[in-house]
Amino acid sequence: MKTRIKPLLGLLLICLYPCLSVAQKQPVDYSKFSHATPKHKAACNTCHKITFPDIKDYPDHDACVSCHRPQFFRGARPPICSVCHSKTSPRDEARLPFRNPAAKLQFTIEFPHDRHQDVIALLRFAHPRPQNYYNCSVCHGQRTPAFKAVPTAHASCFNCHWKSQQPVADNCNGCHKLATPFTRAEPVRISSKFIHDGGGEKKQHVAECTTCHINITKAATLRGLKPDVPVTACTECHNKEGLRQDLNKELVALDKNRNFTCAYCHAPNVGNQDPPASHYLIAERPPLKRKDIK
Amino acid sequence: MRLACFALLLMVLVQSPTGVLRLRVRVKADDASPMRGLSRKRFFLIPGTLEQNRALLEAIERQPLVTRDCYYKKLGASTALIDWLKEADCESVYCRGVEKEFVTGPKAVPEFVTAFTTSRKEFGNNEETARQWLTTNLTAELRDGFYRDRQRALQALLKQAPAVQSVMTDRNGTAYFTELGPGTYVLSNLIPTELGKTVVTWNCEVQVKAGDLATEKPYLVSNRKEKLVKCVGIEKPIPACATD
Repeated sequence: MKTRIKPLLGLLLICLYPCLSVAQKQPVDYSKFSHATPKHKAACNTCHKITFPDIKDYPDHDACVSCHRPQFFRGARPPICSVCHSKTSPRDEARLPFRNPAAKLQFTIEFPHDRHQDVIALLRFAHPRPQNYYNCSVCHGQRTPAFKAVPTAHASCFNCHWKSQQPVADNCNGCHKLATPFTRAEPVRISSKFIHDGGGEKKQHVAECTTCHINITKAATLRGLKPDVPVTACTECHNKEGLRQDLNKELVALDKNRNFTCAYCHAPNVGNQDPPASHYLIAERPPLKRKDIK
Repeated sequence: MRLACFALLLMVLVQSPTGVLRLRVRVKADDASPMRGLSRKRFFLIPGTLEQNRALLEAIERQPLVTRDCYYKKLGASTALIDWLKEADCESVYCRGVEKEFVTGPKAVPEFVTAFTTSRKEFGNNEETARQWLTTNLTAELRDGFYRDRQRALQALLKQAPAVQSVMTDRNGTAYFTELGPGTYVLSNLIPTELGKTVVTWNCEVQVKAGDLATEKPYLVSNRKEKLVKCVGIEKPIPACATD
């Protein structure tokens, strides 16, 4: 008897599953807009006005109303308004900043650094007028003394990709790929004391970017791209016979005191850790752990 | 047990030692010129020995070479544009900004003047914007046709032997190939590099050992056989244009 009941129960569950899943289905939250919704996957210019030099604002109401009329005229505070508007009221037009920094990103960007290096990063005429030549600073301006910025608008792209150079302005998919919503990761800096422009005692941190960011010219995609700077990029100047001995000095200080904090390049969170083997290699010494220092 | 084996394998894979090849490319345009770093040139690393890549090397040798000057002359480009590109060793108009003096005045480049006029109409008579965006109103061939031709030639060659990596030299002629598995590679520029009156092709065998580091002495590449140079290029006179 028991052996007959089990398959029957299984069959019953299979039959009831669609009904159960419908019953569990969450109501649609119209305050959250997703480009992944099948009906939102039309060509971008169906809703967005692609203007030069940048796409400046949210789509007009027409773009939404054509399908979402019931959600638009629902109560005094329709949730759908909060996708674009800071106040959900028919009497207030105030909108959230376009490219709302609080919202998760829905697209990744395909950017082949290698190809762009080939065509724009010549920098033959280096200083004093690097800004006038197409190089890394076309897209990467100064954000803070320590960090360069990444482009947040289209102007630097459209400069070439407006209408002639593919992917052109209305070929959004050429650069933007739909992704699971994510929050942009803040860059991590190991040597937090490094200052890009105007850094260095003689303001000589103006070498071209690829001198230190050695993997940029080979990167065909942004995926997995890290701004990896080897310590040799620093020690070419900062630990050179007859020039400076910044690394050696700190390793010597550490020899004398295992609790010494390496502070020339690092903040304490990094400076209190064991120096990596690469640092000892530069100093031509065998690597040491703090616990082994007497 | 199976999980432990997998974890062990993963650890071995993660820790698999790789090497770094630090290139330094220095060239002499002619006997009177000083040695200088070859900036902004792309090099490729292809797995295998020279013998194993014989077919590729023969294809490199056989490929027809159209120099930058010849390409633009054939297009009917003005001397001013050809000189403007040559001045900064540019493969396309994107590699330098177009400054005011090249859209108006005695140094004006005719192609830029025409594109600038169109851009002014298009971008609301704003001179600064029109100048910065004038490349959008050049013909595709003038804009970057030469670069695209080169890319096509490169891709055709790379179909025969895919490169593991390609890097571009920096201002001083230095470049790094990183995370290389130990083994033998061919270092090549695939398409001859123009050096004034000559063109140079480099095809050299390189050994990469696990643990080779960027701190080690650079792998010197040059067009002249000098002390410490490990890869000497084959230099030939620059070919004449088909219409010359």
